Amino acid sequence: MTDILTLVFRTLSSQTGQNKDPTAGPPPPAPRSKILVVGEHRLSRSVLLLAAVTAASELGVRVAFFAQSQIQSLPECLQRCIATQNPEGLKKITFSYPRTLEELLQQVASLHESPCPPSLIIIDRLDGFLRGAVAGSHVGFHSGDESRAAHLAALLCDTAAFLTEVLEKRGSSSAPCRAIASFLSDADSGQESRDPSATDSILDVLDRYFQARCTLDRDRSYEAAAAAAQEAWHVYLSGTKIPDDLEDGPALAQEWKLFIFPEGLMEFKLV
Amino acid sequence: MRTFLPAVAEQLFRDIQKIYEETTQIPDDLLIALKFVFGTCALQALDLVDQRSVTCLSSPSGRKAFQVIGGSGRLYTCFLSCHYCPCPAFTYTVLRRNQGLLCKHILAVYLCQAMAVTQQESVSDQQMSAVLSGTGGP
Repeated sequence: MTDILTLVFRTLSSQTGQNKDPTAGPPPPAPRSKILVVGEHRLSRSVLLLAAVTAASELGVRVAFFAQSQIQSLPECLQRCIATQNPEGLKKITFSYPRTLEELLQQVASLHESPCPPSLIIIDRLDGFLRGAVAGSHVGFHSGDESRAAHLAALLCDTAAFLTEVLEKRGSSSAPCRAIASFLSDADSGQESRDPSATDSILDVLDRYFQARCTLDRDRSYEAAAAAAQEAWHVYLSGTKIPDDLEDGPALAQEWKLFIFPEGLMEFKLV
Repeated sequence: MRTFLPAVAEQLFRDIQKIYEETTQIPDDLLIALKFVFGTCALQALDLVDQRSVTCLSSPSGRKAFQVIGGSGRLYTCFLSCHYCPCPAFTYTVLRRNQGLLCKHILAVYLCQAMAVTQQESVSDQQMSAVLSGTGGP
């Protein structure tokens, strides 16, 4: 999955920016097929949509996009990207709007029944599905959520593993099947929680199943103003070493800077 | 099952598979190693193996999942490619306390696979989806 995200960031990087030479330095770590995007909802949804559109139009893979709330409009930068990319590729994205965790589990579990399985599964706002699983819960996570989080994450991983086998057996170039999900803990959202340790425990559970994390961290320095941007963000790609990495190679650790301009354009720069 | 297990555990299962193929028994030294690596759930898992409690479900799409009948008679669904079990022990000991690698149900799956004593059952694709989502089962 980090290969798709890196493709997104490079596609939206400045042509005249001072990006690092991607061929310099040690060989990059192997791509991760399961990644968790952690950060503010609005931006993480934009990143997921960018990933979906990039995968569908540039890589030609089928995408299954799950979200609790309907996508009313695409981010401005995405609308401009679509105008220049292959619009036919967008037909490869299927949007589904399960209302509850149970519906989401059923829909992900039934992906194996599809004659044309996706190569990329995206779930927006895991926290919304998990929080909504407890009746009347509107603040924080509660005990029992670890098991639900593990079930959803494990189902996602197992489904991606199975679909990878299916795609490989068919000789498809779309293999492996990748998964990306977004999550925001109560602690990061700044909300009060009755049990602060419970919020981190959900992220700990999810980290067991996702190979890498993309962290979105708002930059509140003057860098945005200096770049004539409205917002500036740090984007960190991180992950532990996996068997596919080179023995002497680095673990996944990459940093990008994201500038969002008043007209909605996004620009990434490799740090 | 592709594993999240340390190398010593994977080697242990390979050793059990090899010796069980030859002798249909697990020698004491491997039983001791099992207890050393997995703790108290090792004996509980072996009980489940003796009771032939593990079934591999398959559907026409090729999707598979494991179901384990627990000591209380309840059915637990485990996945092929990663560790998950809905039992309280997995939630508490593995997820919350990080004090164990897995629960007795997942260990029983590994052992049954190594010993080739997993039961087999075919289900429809729709039944498989219900099993995987936790909303139903055969």
